[in-house]
Parts: sequence; structure tokens; C-alpha cells
Amino acid sequence: MNRDIILRAVDLHKRYGDVVALDGVSISVRKRETKVIIGPNGSGKTTLLKCLNMLIKPDKGRIWLGDEEITNPKINIYKVREKIGFVFQEFNLFHHLTVLKNVMIGLLKVKKMERDLAYEKAVNALSIVGIDRSLYDKYPAQLSSGQKQRVAIARALAMDPIIMLYDEPTSALDPQFANEVLQVIKDLAVKGVTSIIVTHHIDFALEVADEILVMYRGRVVESGAPKNLLSSPKYSITKNILMSGIALSNGLNHGFLE
Amino acid sequence: MGDLNAYITLLNYIPYILEGAKWSLVLTFGGLGIGFIIGLPVGVASVYGGRYTRLLLNIYIWIFRSTPLIVLLFLFYWGIFPTIGYKVSPLVTSILVLGLRSGAYQTEIFRGCIESIDEGQILAAYAIGMSSIQTFTNILIPQVLRISIPGWSNEYAGLLKDTAICFILGIQEVLTRAKIISMAIGIALLPYFIAGAILMILSYLGIKVLDIFYRRWSVPGLIKEI
Repeated sequence: MNRDIILRAVDLHKRYGDVVALDGVSISVRKRETKVIIGPNGSGKTTLLKCLNMLIKPDKGRIWLGDEEITNPKINIYKVREKIGFVFQEFNLFHHLTVLKNVMIGLLKVKKMERDLAYEKAVNALSIVGIDRSLYDKYPAQLSSGQKQRVAIARALAMDPIIMLYDEPTSALDPQFANEVLQVIKDLAVKGVTSIIVTHHIDFALEVADEILVMYRGRVVESGAPKNLLSSPKYSITKNILMSGIALSNGLNHGFLE
Repeated sequence: MGDLNAYITLLNYIPYILEGAKWSLVLTFGGLGIGFIIGLPVGVASVYGGRYTRLLLNIYIWIFRSTPLIVLLFLFYWGIFPTIGYKVSPLVTSILVLGLRSGAYQTEIFRGCIESIDEGQILAAYAIGMSSIQTFTNILIPQVLRISIPGWSNEYAGLLKDTAICFILGIQEVLTRAKIISMAIGIALLPYFIAGAILMILSYLGIKVLDIFYRRWSVPGLIKEI
């Protein structure tokens, strides 16, 4: 097996009752690679991402994190999740904890770190995502949506994950905050943080992705480097998504949709 | 003016009625304590438990919420305890019955609070590697306890008044003493008013204390600020 591969999933299947969410999806991510998953709503993007850290159990298929098979029922799944950073669409910050404590709690309770060290690490993670010290003692409800998502990224980052998964990180943001969050994600990707990003921001996807995967009806229908995908999309669905995404962002840039 | 003498005698007995407050509080806090010990885990189980667990718990809640307190007190004191061969004092019986009943009410308080915590936070806790128990103690419980205080304060006020019903087992709480004095000195209403006033003051103080904790522990956004 390629030593460089950090995360590998083979033939994942998942259904909810009659609805097929994943219909044989495989994906493998190399170290420092950024993969972006695009596709219409309901195509299985979020299900795939949540399967990758076992927040959702796939019905069938196997997943490896490094050499460890995490779909093995005997594995301690909590230990595995510690190594996978997950950023939710809805931030999901802990409402009763301050910004600083949101980032520290995993270090203290899961990694059992000394308080001073945890503090240091949390401060470091928060500065990476550009959260000012004046916000440390604020509660999530007192933050803007962009700040919330950046804190959520810091919370995941502080755990020293070997891969970051982002589930539509800008979909629940007020539009004016999308860029600050995308910038953070981009900076991390450039620094070599291995990432899988589910997004509807096509221009962002084209910019950061080493590879784009197009999902449709629970399958990866097409994948490739952004350039190739853009110049010669095989399927009309890819073309539609790419074109509508670009048209949308052009519209935004020209103020048509504001 | 035989009446006047009676009123003066009543004045002398106010400390005696007041002493009943001690027992009212013992019953209240005993009941609340047992109710909490029952209510929190049962509340959790009634949200996360399997079908049969929930069915069983719902039967418990149904019985204790729908049966009059007097019936429960009689049932336990004259029925259940003697039948299983235990001699249990009226005080302990009263505390147990109040506790079991309060447990049913508190289960509903905690159930509501647990259900109001959005599932996303639970997923987020799992995502950073927390186990179910760590998620429960670090994420769920601190929030549930905070938002349960108003419901709890209601439970305190209700339970405090219900302790008066324990007079039927002869507990020397406020109302029992008022009744004794009323009969002894031949004044019908006033002793009961005094008992009522004492309970009102206790109720006010307890609610006030809980309200202070509620404000102290309140977190922006977790509960609506008043």
C-alpha cells in the first residue's frame, strides 16, 4: 500500500430506509492533499464525510486511517476520531463554554493534557484561525457566524489531527463571512494540512483542490484535477455544477445577487 | 374576653408552629433529593433508552404523576411496606413517597431539557474523540442542569406545599401543628393562616435562592436572559 495514503475508503454503502445515500463510494487521500467534493444537495456528500470518521456507520465498505482499519468493530473509535478533525456546517460549538474552553476541552478531557499546555495549544490554534484574544472569554452566542466557524476549526485543529474534514463549512454563514472562513481553510491547505472539503463554492474548489470529486446520487461520477475537470468535463452534471457555480460567483462579484 | 386569652395563647404557640417548618423542609429537601437521584438518570434513560426501558419508565411516571399523594402515602404506609414486612416510620415513608413522586416529575423536567440540547453538540463532542460518558458529563449535563433550574424551582414550590399532606401520617410539619393548636385553643382560622404564611415565606426564599443560582450560572445564548 502506498505509504503516503492517509485515509482510504473502499466501496462505501449507506441507505436510510429506501433512500440510497452512498452507493459504492471509494476515496483515498494522500498526505498534504486537498480533496474537494462537490455535487447537488442529497448526493451523499455529507454522509460520505460523516462515514469517514464513523459518525455515521456505513452499511458496507471499509475505511483505513493510515494502516488502521477504522471500520473494524473492535477498534476504539473514540481514539480514531481524535485524529480526524471535523468541521460541521452548523459549527456545533459547545454553548456553555467560552471560546477558549471550547478549544481546550478536547485537549483536557480527551488528550488529558496539563492545563498550561492545553492553554498554549488552544491559543496557538485560535491564532491560526485569526481569533483575537479579546474573544477568548466570549460565549458562542456572542460571536458572528464567521467567528463561530473559525473557532470550530480551531477546536478541531488543536487536537493535532492528521486530516481535516470540512462539511459545507460556509453554508450556514452569513454571506459576508464566507470569505474569512474560506481563507482560513485555504491557508491551512496551503500549509499542507491534509483536507477533504465539501463545498458549494465552486471557485474556491477550483482554487484549492488538488482533486475535485463530483458526487451525484450517492456515487462519485467524476473526479480529476480542477483544470482537467473544467476543460473537459465528461458528464453534463459536472458541467452544470461547475458552470452554475461559476456563474453564481461571477454574479456575486458583479453585485447582481447582492 | 375569653377570646382575647385564646389569641394570646396562640401567640405563645407560634414558635411551636414555626418549628414545624423544620419538618416541612426535611420533607421537601428529602423529596427533592431522592427525586433528583431518580429523575436525572431516568430522564436520560427516557431519552436514550430502548423501547422497553422507555415503556417501563413511562409506566412509573404515569403512576406517580396521576395518583393523589394521599393515596400514595396510605398505599405505602399501610399497604406496601407492611406487606413486604418492613416497619417504616411515617417520616421515612413520607420522604420516600414524596421522592418517588418528585422523581416522576423531575424525569419530565430533565427529559425536556435533554431534548432541548441540539444533537450537533453531541456529534461535535464525538468528533473530537469524546466517549459517550465524557460527552454526557462534559457537554450534556452542565447544560441540562443550567436550563433545568426554572423547572426545578417549580418543583420545589409544589413539593413544599405537598408536604402539608403528610399530616395524615402524623408528621409534625407546619400544617399538622397548626391543626393541633387550632383544636386546642379553639381558634378556627388564624393558626392555618400562620401555617400558610410560613409556607409562603419558605417558598419565596427557596425560589429566590434557585433564581440566584440560575442567574449566576446562566450563559449567554443557552437560556433566554430575563
